[in-house]
Amino acid sequence: MREVAIIGVGMHKFGKFPNESLKDLGRVAVWNAIHDANIEAHDIQTAYVGNAGAGLLTGQECVRGQVILNDACIFSVPVTNVEGACASGLIALREAWIAVGSGMYDVALALGVEKMYIDDTAKVLQVLGAGTDMESVGSIGYQFSGGYAQGIQQNMRRYGWTREDLALVAVKNKYNGARNPYAQFQKETTVEEVLNSRVVAYPVTIFMTAPIGDGAAAAIICPKEMASKFTSKPPIIIKAMAMHSPGFRDYRLPPREPDTTKREVSSLSAREAYETVGIGPDDVELAEVHDAMTPAELSTYASLGFCKPGEGNILVREGRTSLTGDIPVNTSGGLSARGHPIGATGLAQAAEIVWQLRGEAGPRQIPGKSGKGPRIGLIENNGGTVGSGAAVSTVSIFMRD
Amino acid sequence: MKEGLFHIPDSSTDEAYLIGSKCRVCGYVAFPKKVICPACVRDDTMEEAPIGKKANIASFALMGQAPKGFTAPYFQAMVRLEEGITIATTLTDCELKEDAVEMGQPVELVITKIKVDDQGNDIIAWKYRPLTKK
Repeated sequence: MREVAIIGVGMHKFGKFPNESLKDLGRVAVWNAIHDANIEAHDIQTAYVGNAGAGLLTGQECVRGQVILNDACIFSVPVTNVEGACASGLIALREAWIAVGSGMYDVALALGVEKMYIDDTAKVLQVLGAGTDMESVGSIGYQFSGGYAQGIQQNMRRYGWTREDLALVAVKNKYNGARNPYAQFQKETTVEEVLNSRVVAYPVTIFMTAPIGDGAAAAIICPKEMASKFTSKPPIIIKAMAMHSPGFRDYRLPPREPDTTKREVSSLSAREAYETVGIGPDDVELAEVHDAMTPAELSTYASLGFCKPGEGNILVREGRTSLTGDIPVNTSGGLSARGHPIGATGLAQAAEIVWQLRGEAGPRQIPGKSGKGPRIGLIENNGGTVGSGAAVSTVSIFMRD
Repeated sequence: MKEGLFHIPDSSTDEAYLIGSKCRVCGYVAFPKKVICPACVRDDTMEEAPIGKKANIASFALMGQAPKGFTAPYFQAMVRLEEGITIATTLTDCELKEDAVEMGQPVELVITKIKVDDQGNDIIAWKYRPLTKK
């Protein structure tokens, strides 16, 4: 594998855009990335497009990427559509990374795009259920918000997390989102406001959930050595993109007991990503994580090794994951504030890490461990539920060269 | 719903059950039924088995909003079948308030209407009915 650099990222603002189509959303993100990378559209040699729900939500079941990229005037390149529910965007980037890393192509585009706002919440909730096995889970009333709620309840009982702890994550992420011009929600909130908002599935309130929305995000990558040919911006190297579909776990085995004796990285993808790069959780300077329900962040901290299992609430109470903390998490606002047009989320997370590592994150820019801007960022993005866990689990590590 | 997921009782003495499978070598139970045993990873050991008549609540959430075809509020739950596996379900015949059910509470299988499809037809599948609290 050659070392591969992200040389451009671009987004279409996340939000509700009844008058914009999949094509409009995708085109804006792609061309923002083209301008950011300082390339010409015809420099792109291959493209991967991540989307999850367009078939059910808009009727564009087939050739989604081809329709969008033809409108964006990205002609005569192989266009590959990928899908992995909420992880579709990062899967697109991972495929592009492999294509360039292998030497097959030099310049690749990855796009994540989703058009979710159709003014019919019940229909969208039905479609979200398709991120599971439809035969036995998705069609019988299972909702992800309820699945998350059940896990969070368990952690509250096991570890003594309070409702205030859960709300603090939402307050932190809404604070960050208020400093992100691409975020769907750009308004700060308070613990009281979060706890008093409508209950979606106890203990999850509406202020703790990712909203329904539209959006797109894109990245352009090339071999590290070629980056300076296009752009004077620091190339952001993709050091690792670990991905697993965990699936089967035998119910007869004893339940997983978290190891509380040492700092344990409990996610398979995280462990693999750290090993690939040769770093540990202490080296990470910021992370974008998949907080479809914000309190899930508290257990993700442990999965990624930022704290011991069950101690995520201490991190957020002490402000360690805030913009001014030692390991800021979801500086973009995360899924609940930046928004979660599901197929676009992974690439929006990637865009945020790129902006932070370049020092371009404006009012939410973090200083990093050196005080001169962060060098190492991590992304956790997952999608769907199959068997005993996420259908797709990804952890990626980017590094400023 | 696809056929072959559950049995609808056809007389007053007949009982509802879920149609799962059990590995005759290692005893692994699956629902919906599987051809390949995920523990043995071989394709000649799974046999159809009636399961899921009794279970207990592993976790639950009272849902404040519903997907198309369902009506909120309703209980979404994971129930542990007496055969050992945990499956996704909704609850029926219980009060729709947070403390109406508890973890570990025994439940029994009911094959009944779970939702209305896009054409307005009733869709029949499994739900679980809470029994006396433990």
